[in-house]
Amino acid sequence: MIGPNGAGKTTLVKMLTGIIAPTSGKISVLGYYPNDLKNEFKQQYAVVMGQKSQLFFELTAEDTLRLFKEIYGIPEEEYQKTKNYFINLFDLKDLMNVQVRTLSLGERMKMELIVALLHNPQIIFLDEPTIGLDAVASKQIRSFLKEINEKRGTTIILTSHYMDDIKTLCKRSIVINHGCKIYDGDTEKLFEQYQKNKKITLTFDLPTELPELEYELELIEDSPYKKVMMVSKEKTSELLGWLMKFSPSDISVEEEEIGTIVERIYMEGGRAFA
Amino acid sequence: MRKYIEIAKIYIKAQLVWRVDVVFNMVFTITKILFAYLLWGAIFGTKTEVAGFTFYSMLSYYIISTFLNQLDMSSGISNEISAKIRNGTFSKYMTIPVNIEKYFIAMEAGVVAFYLTFDFIAAIVWIYIFKIEFVFTTNFVMIAGALLMILLGLLFMVQLNYYLGLLTLKYQEIGTFLMIKNNIVAFVTGSIVPLVLLPDAFVSVMKLFPFYYVTYLPSMLLIGRYQNEMLIGLIVIFLWCVLLQIVIQVTWKKYRRKYDGVGI
Repeated sequence: MIGPNGAGKTTLVKMLTGIIAPTSGKISVLGYYPNDLKNEFKQQYAVVMGQKSQLFFELTAEDTLRLFKEIYGIPEEEYQKTKNYFINLFDLKDLMNVQVRTLSLGERMKMELIVALLHNPQIIFLDEPTIGLDAVASKQIRSFLKEINEKRGTTIILTSHYMDDIKTLCKRSIVINHGCKIYDGDTEKLFEQYQKNKKITLTFDLPTELPELEYELELIEDSPYKKVMMVSKEKTSELLGWLMKFSPSDISVEEEEIGTIVERIYMEGGRAFA
Repeated sequence: MRKYIEIAKIYIKAQLVWRVDVVFNMVFTITKILFAYLLWGAIFGTKTEVAGFTFYSMLSYYIISTFLNQLDMSSGISNEISAKIRNGTFSKYMTIPVNIEKYFIAMEAGVVAFYLTFDFIAAIVWIYIFKIEFVFTTNFVMIAGALLMILLGLLFMVQLNYYLGLLTLKYQEIGTFLMIKNNIVAFVTGSIVPLVLLPDAFVSVMKLFPFYYVTYLPSMLLIGRYQNEMLIGLIVIFLWCVLLQIVIQVTWKKYRRKYDGVGI
């Protein structure tokens, strides 16, 4: 689920998990009305929401896992098997008996995911799973999620602002804005259709002035040592070739931000279901 | 049931992290006993009895009621629930297959089991150090009745604090409710002054309320008094637990939809 801050992504996750009830309309997850808070329903899903940790900070992750084994009534043999599978997957063996509060944010998120997945849920809801994590930890989390989706068949519903999360993990994207669904369909098509520009950032060792540009682009920053510009995807490689003539010390090419894409979908006719 | 035993166990374990708190908790039981020793020493003076109490039966009452008061650590529950509802972390209890109230009862049971051990040791040590001729009933029925009443009393206090915490769903701020509750509990449980010293009419009214049975009556039973009130006491506190349980369920059903899960 994609959308700018305040779009209603987290609210939707809360409704899907029964934390709050919808004020109007109908909602059904796995055949249950989530806000009935039935234990049979809770046995079939898991949710990881940023700051709302299930871990006991003063104890070890192993302690929390043991508690969740009992809460979900997991047989000992299955518990050991699942736990070891996740520990090996994340390479967390040495951290299982360490006080949770001493773990890094990335390590804590991995533990949080193991706790959530211990009972092998059919669906896992993740609200911004990689927020605040460094590139390495984010990548590990993504590959972990990909694996549990492929190997264990767990459906993953996640909200994210990060392009990497969405492109790597999601075949289907739902774009939300102001509480309304404005796109629901194939992720590739979404970016093909609405991600129209790329952002190029150039830095120079010497003060540099670019001549009148022949390309249709938007110059965001134009200082002697740095130029930032937005250019259409199709023209990017051609422009880069031309810019190389000015011997930049560094070049970066970034994808357009999610917010811009959402805004474009919204501007180009609101509901654009694929 | 096993899940709630595991919840109790994990909270016992969590208490171990705060070892210094435990030691201070044990040590500071002495301040209450010392205060009682000096105060009642002065009141008794040369008298051998005050309101039917000897000096040592009064001290025994103090030690037992202090011990029971220390065991009731449920006041933290209302604050914890209130904070979690306001900062949105209450969601974590709603998404796991547990009964939330039972979760908090199990949590309290874990904490009580832990402190029970240490407070018991502290009480024995102080009795020995002060050379108190400890008065304790040998009547098995009274001991069993008192223990059952203590359990029901602790359960009632957990229920009460759970209920007050839930009121955050409606009122957002429950500080005033907690202040009123704390003052009533401190006075009416007889932990400040034994209720026998208060006017009969006041005590008669108090007998209709649950707090009389939380520490006061069990303490009196354990020093061998008021056996005639035991059965009716058990019935009253049991009925209060049932009543409060109904109130909790109605409150939860009515107000849980007000929870928005927003905060951190």
